[in-house]
Amino acid sequence: MTEAAAPAPAAPSDAVREPIFHAEGVVKRFGGIRAVNGATMQVGKGSITALIGPNGAGKTTFFNLITGFYRADAGTVTFDGRSIAGKQPYTIARLGMVRTFQITKALSAMPVIDNMTLAAPDQPGEKLRNLIIRPAASRSREREVHEQAMELLDVFNLTKLADAYAGTLSGGQRKLLELARALMTKPRFLLLDEPMAGINPTLGRRLLDHMQRLRTEDGVTFLFVEHDMDVVMNHSDRVIVMAEGRVIADGEPDEVRADQAVIDAYLGGEQPEPSS
Amino acid sequence: MFSGDPTLLPLAVDWSSLTDSLFLVNVGILAGIYALLALGLQLNAGFTGISNFGQAGFMAIGGYTMAILTVDTGLSFYVSLPLSMLAAIAFGLLVGLPSLRLREDYFAIATLASAEVVRIVAQNAQGLTNGNQGFFCNDDFSRCFDDKWNSISATIIGWLQDLGWSDPEALFPLLLVVMLAVLLVTIALRLTQNTPWGRVLRAVREDQDAARALGKNAFAYKLQSLAISAAIAAIAGWFLALDLATVHPTDFEPLVTFFAYSVLVLGGLANYWGVIAGSAVLWALLEGTRVLKLFPDDADTAALRFAIVGLTLILLMAFRPQGMFGKKEEMVLGD
Repeated sequence: MTEAAAPAPAAPSDAVREPIFHAEGVVKRFGGIRAVNGATMQVGKGSITALIGPNGAGKTTFFNLITGFYRADAGTVTFDGRSIAGKQPYTIARLGMVRTFQITKALSAMPVIDNMTLAAPDQPGEKLRNLIIRPAASRSREREVHEQAMELLDVFNLTKLADAYAGTLSGGQRKLLELARALMTKPRFLLLDEPMAGINPTLGRRLLDHMQRLRTEDGVTFLFVEHDMDVVMNHSDRVIVMAEGRVIADGEPDEVRADQAVIDAYLGGEQPEPSS
Repeated sequence: MFSGDPTLLPLAVDWSSLTDSLFLVNVGILAGIYALLALGLQLNAGFTGISNFGQAGFMAIGGYTMAILTVDTGLSFYVSLPLSMLAAIAFGLLVGLPSLRLREDYFAIATLASAEVVRIVAQNAQGLTNGNQGFFCNDDFSRCFDDKWNSISATIIGWLQDLGWSDPEALFPLLLVVMLAVLLVTIALRLTQNTPWGRVLRAVREDQDAARALGKNAFAYKLQSLAISAAIAAIAGWFLALDLATVHPTDFEPLVTFFAYSVLVLGGLANYWGVIAGSAVLWALLEGTRVLKLFPDDADTAALRFAIVGLTLILLMAFRPQGMFGKKEEMVLGD
């Protein structure tokens, strides 16, 4: 597909009120391959937005670009009104835009509880000089953080494993730990790369409920990559579809499901039935 | 002193030298110096996940800066010590800034090369370092960097004699100071281990991308780790200079770093106290095997000593890969 022949995105900009995140014309080349080829999208504040598309569509690359792990060759990215293109991953995370990884990055040789407390922001004890001049501040923050961590572990059924090494957890438990850990950062915009993969349905439901609660109670915005169409269609407000490095559709679940370009590129000609 | 049946000993061994106090003092000082080097490596490799192979270079900076400042600029010995640590830190930052962005194995190569640069510069910058002659007291005693230390040492010996020890070894005061330094550095590092700062270091060791995704500036932490390690190596550099009463380029060959890594492997990763034990065992083995008289030619026996140390390390890897004090879980789960 040449650039000129590419279909125009389905008018995304005026559909999102009050965007918290906006990417415009983002391009990433690996050698001769354009993994992301002018992706443009907006994510509304407080929304749960799904990002779907066939394998190789550039979803994970796009995540890496907007969170600073890759440097984009072109395009602008803004989060909460400020440009974050070219910023370091840790800077972007501190602004409140936090991601998880498709292949979990549990800190294996550290206990689960340390995985959690590590993620908490504003710990003065993370600076060496504060350990000497303000040791009490570090300790009291540590107590707070520990309490929050235990509460979150409880939500994800990980309390019993708090002192186990993260490397001894099952794949699904690691996925939950990574999400719980991301929540410890108090994010405003959470990007989840296939959060449901490898999690049993009961826990998956719990996770989705927790997402809904965070959105309504704390106004957290979600953008998640997912292949489970039931989850995508039933639990998101908007669906953005990527194929061949660009956004080919963007709209409410029902609109996207009926979109011919999406059916051709991803859904495979057969319209999925909504699950009961 | 060895009361067993002598026919059970296949080798001709002179055990008496093992209890000789000069021998013990020498082994103790060497073990202490290498413990310091390896404590820095423990912080880097064991707790931050960076393979610093430039420890000999940082040690050289410490030793040379101390000697140059004391002899050539006439600065007080006490001032030259912290300044030489600062010099090692500065060099650590210089090396780390470009190379810590490299992948782990390339970082190891870059640090090894940086240490060789220091050594080769020391060999060739005649005016500054006295080249292959090294720093030592010349005939008219105008270039002694250790005058001050020798007077401190004499004072300590005086105290020991007052306590009723008639004839302490000349190097015993150095042993005391080295041991004290090892103890203080170990305690200081151990205190940082369970702090939030130490936790970020371990997170960087486990997966620096995960740490960055959680808002931690992994690069800054790696740089701090390297700088602290360089400063500790500089301390080891002073002690080596005082022990040998010279500062010489051949004292800082890459082998020094490799021995320090052997200490780390023996003691076990991610345990600071293990470093002390590892260093004691390594030097007891290396120096203790001097008593072996297997061959008429001492050079042959000397080669065998290293074979014994090598065999010990291989057996350790086979039966206790986590070292004496390392945690097996942390090692197995590490990747």
